Amino acid sequence: MKHLLLSMMCCCALLAGAQQVNVVSTRSLGAAIGEPAYYPVLDASGSRLLFAAGERYGLKLYDFGTGKVTPVSEERCAGIDARFDHSGNVYYVTQSLNENNLIYRSGYCYHVASAESELVLEPQHGAMNYAVGTQGVAMRGPRKNYASARNIGTAVDVEGSELLITVNGKLNRYSPVPSHAGYLWPSLSPDGTKVAFCAAGSGIIVTDLKGNVLARLGNYEMPCWYNNDYVVAQNATDDGHQFTSSQLLLLKADGSWRHELTEPYSMAMQPTTATGKIVYTTIDGQLCVMEISIND
Amino acid sequence: MKKKVFYTLVMLLVAAFTAGKVVAQEVPHVYINPGHGGHDSDDRNVVLPPFAQGDTLGFWESNSNMWKGFALKEILTKKGYQTSISRISNTTADDLPLSTIVYLSNHSGADVFYSIHSNASGSGGATLVNFPMGFYRGYTGQPVIPRAADLLGALAPYIIDNESTVWSSPNYAIYGDWTFRPEWGTQGYGVLRGNNIPAILDEGSFHDYYPEAYRLINHEYCWVEGWSFSLGADAYFGRLEQFGQGMVTGTIRDDRILRTDIARMLGADKRLPVNQAVAQLIDSDGNVIDEYQCDTIRNGIYLFKYVEPGTYTVKVTHPKYFEQTKEVEVAANAKTYLNFDLKRVRDTPPVVVNYSPVWSEGDAPVPCNTPIVLEFNWDMDTESVEQAFEIEPAVQGHFVWEDTNYRMIFTPDDAYDVNTHYTVTLKKTAMHGGGTPMEEDFTLQFSTQDRSHINKLALFPDEGDAVHYKAGAYVEFRSDSLLNSKDLYTHFHVYDADGNALEFNKRNIKNNKKGDDYGYIRISLLKALVPDADYTLQVDKEVADTMGLHLQAPLTVNFKAVDASARAGEAIVIDEFESSEGFAVTESESAGGSLSANSDHLFGSKSLQVDYTFADDEPHVLTVTTAQPESSMLQTSASSGFVATDKVGIHVMGDMSYNRLNLLFADEQGETHEVPVGDITFHGWRYVELSLESLPAEKKYRFAGISLTKNATVMGRSGALRLDNLVKQSPVGVTDVAVNTSVKVMPNPASHYVVATADGYITGVELLNGAGQVLVRNASNYVNVADVPAGVYFVRVYTSGSITTHKVVVAH
Repeated sequence: MKHLLLSMMCCCALLAGAQQVNVVSTRSLGAAIGEPAYYPVLDASGSRLLFAAGERYGLKLYDFGTGKVTPVSEERCAGIDARFDHSGNVYYVTQSLNENNLIYRSGYCYHVASAESELVLEPQHGAMNYAVGTQGVAMRGPRKNYASARNIGTAVDVEGSELLITVNGKLNRYSPVPSHAGYLWPSLSPDGTKVAFCAAGSGIIVTDLKGNVLARLGNYEMPCWYNNDYVVAQNATDDGHQFTSSQLLLLKADGSWRHELTEPYSMAMQPTTATGKIVYTTIDGQLCVMEISIND
Repeated sequence: MKKKVFYTLVMLLVAAFTAGKVVAQEVPHVYINPGHGGHDSDDRNVVLPPFAQGDTLGFWESNSNMWKGFALKEILTKKGYQTSISRISNTTADDLPLSTIVYLSNHSGADVFYSIHSNASGSGGATLVNFPMGFYRGYTGQPVIPRAADLLGALAPYIIDNESTVWSSPNYAIYGDWTFRPEWGTQGYGVLRGNNIPAILDEGSFHDYYPEAYRLINHEYCWVEGWSFSLGADAYFGRLEQFGQGMVTGTIRDDRILRTDIARMLGADKRLPVNQAVAQLIDSDGNVIDEYQCDTIRNGIYLFKYVEPGTYTVKVTHPKYFEQTKEVEVAANAKTYLNFDLKRVRDTPPVVVNYSPVWSEGDAPVPCNTPIVLEFNWDMDTESVEQAFEIEPAVQGHFVWEDTNYRMIFTPDDAYDVNTHYTVTLKKTAMHGGGTPMEEDFTLQFSTQDRSHINKLALFPDEGDAVHYKAGAYVEFRSDSLLNSKDLYTHFHVYDADGNALEFNKRNIKNNKKGDDYGYIRISLLKALVPDADYTLQVDKEVADTMGLHLQAPLTVNFKAVDASARAGEAIVIDEFESSEGFAVTESESAGGSLSANSDHLFGSKSLQVDYTFADDEPHVLTVTTAQPESSMLQTSASSGFVATDKVGIHVMGDMSYNRLNLLFADEQGETHEVPVGDITFHGWRYVELSLESLPAEKKYRFAGISLTKNATVMGRSGALRLDNLVKQSPVGVTDVAVNTSVKVMPNPASHYVVATADGYITGVELLNGAGQVLVRNASNYVNVADVPAGVYFVRVYTSGSITTHKVVVAH
């Protein structure tokens, strides 16, 4: 009898601590977008969406309010790694080849208000990465850099196997976990206190702003903060040549819990999140909007 | 002045620093992705001796991809490139997901992306496929990133010019991944998808072409592919002139001896690679610049890396081969191939060291298919040996060479003649692989046995046979010697009239076994035949016994499918054989048997099975008698026995015993007479009709049983046959409905009873369906049809003087 009571108490405790996640709705943006779309990026308000359009991966902007799609750049691959800054303008990188087939990359800022793109970082050979901070954007090239403000606030970025965390404009480099191939997909929590990123070979890592590891969330990809406590990530498998499954997971940021938002064979990938909204694409470029509820 | 000097110095320093930085940054950056990884489920392991399955030292695609990638990174670094590589070990953790690889490539600042793989045909070495392929994203001729096609085009010549391998196609195949994999739509290869720089995936060769797999285990062979990639990169970036060193590589093989460890090979790969041969690179002054010893993994690969341009001599040595040297011109930043075909040291003339058959006058003759085997002290020149081979009297035959041409086997195409003395001569013109002939002729002699082929003892179906159509019909072949059962059934073929092959039930094949008196195979057809359709059975000539003797000629017989029960409705059933009761076996010391009811039947629910055993092959007789002949109502009353003018029929399920089955009839004086049914030469049910005209006339008979007489061959010493309805030919068939008769049946339609009336005494009534099967029988003048489903039936009425049939309708 005592054992039974204890067991029941344990179950109650577990139930009390368990999270219940419901997918409230999933709707396709296919009709609104009208073409395959990849690498979606939501703005902070969740009202606008960047995506790479078609196989050229040109950059386009979708407005949830008006349902209007606006071309930002027709340049090939401009949509693969575009970002919104804190004010809603769009930063992106384009490429050009010199006569020796070396790739030169240029940084642009698309001003939403004027619908015009401005060259902010001239063509350079090599990697061009950027950090989107709470107060500005910093773009780093091999020879020249660009910053939209002296103090870009708090920002996170990766370079090789280093996590670059900028706090109040001051940049610090951390290597909290070993990774030969490098770090990927840095993401700052909405409250600006935690960083989620992927270390190749080690999976998703959560750190504080001093690079201290807070949690390891598993061998998944593309983490993005759903809110301050949860991360949405991609869980894909492959046979070395092509994807064999891909799904979205909701992960508790302390590493204690995970929930499958889509089935493994939904082929859902490349999630982006903002204000409780999850946007992802599928293997064939169908953008979807998912809304979920979490009962802690 | 000092300030001026200071500023000048500062400016010079800045200029120098800036210039250095620019130069450092302007070199091409190559992202290297060695495909797969981890020796796990998405890796590719080809199991080849001496490596067991799962042995990480054996062939794994992840290994060779990694060694190629490491080599490329090393070479490109030496050439002044910037490189990134997606993995530096072979672990599952390092086998990065596709999205991760693409992100790393996109953010590395690289100018090009190489994904390094090898290919597989999926045939497990069964097909001779080995050629390089490369892919970019998009449709063939329409790359999503145009320069990817240029990148692949720059690489292709340096992959296809590989002279260490043997290609099955002379071209490097270039595809867009959407064209090559249409089933994937535009998903394409994962590492090309979303990759925003010129990116290609190279399948350098086919690793399930086994000689290639052995090469790919060799790190230096992989290094050469890395060198090829570097040349492709140099060509793409316009840097072919910027590196001053070259390389020399090649394969060292035996010039004659064929490798036997792999079944299917292309061209030069058929010859044995020389393990542990030593190659030396010697400069024009005679100095040994480099030395390489081939590994033991059956590839013969050697390599000299980073060689200064110039003229060299490559010397190859091996204790069992003659030394060989070749001059070579090494060019800067190019590939130099130099293959060696070594001549084995063969320092004595060839002689026959073993042979068979070993035979002398007075020895027992040898089988007529005995192969002639000659073993030599050296690997032989096969052409000269075959030309030097003579056999008298002449016999058509073929040669097989084994043990890398140390052993020659001559086998007659058919067989030697029986009781014949043969002389085999190998003339001294036969040479070993080094070209030295024998010093004297070699001869051997033998005499042959009196039997050159196997003989057919029996075949079912045989020409003109009728085979009961039901599924499982047997095909059986018997021979006078035990057959070699390995794949024996594949030599039997049954075709329908349209030439379609019928399928055998492979789970129901019975072959002879050691100790059997004769050879046989019995197989059954998987599906039912079509009654009245014609079929053909073919038996290949290759059916052979355990000695290898085969049929002299193939056999072809035609047979027909029948329904053995189809005649039953037209006759009076004398005995249904539903039970063994009423029958008795008369055993003797030389013939025993037993009776039982068997559920395999044609009519009713049982048949009578007679199991028998004969002591030997003498004509012993087993008798089964009806112990109480009067117990059969129909026999004693309805049919009133038999007379010599009657015809009877019996349904027999044969066992192909070749024993003779007889029906026994007893006359009124109690004397028993045999009427032969025939030899049981068949399997399955058969309806056999026979006349009783051999019985003395003017007498009446009753059915008294059966007898089985052992045949004179080794077949049929034991077995079982089954009997079902014994019938007496009826003057009226079921469809021949009586019209002018005093016999009446009523009511019609009927629901409970059908009652017969006649002028005479009615001895019995039967209810039959349209197929002639007896459904209800009663030894009176009525049958109860209350439980019979509604429908049209026939009522057969037996009187003392007649049998009449009447159509009735049963309605409820």
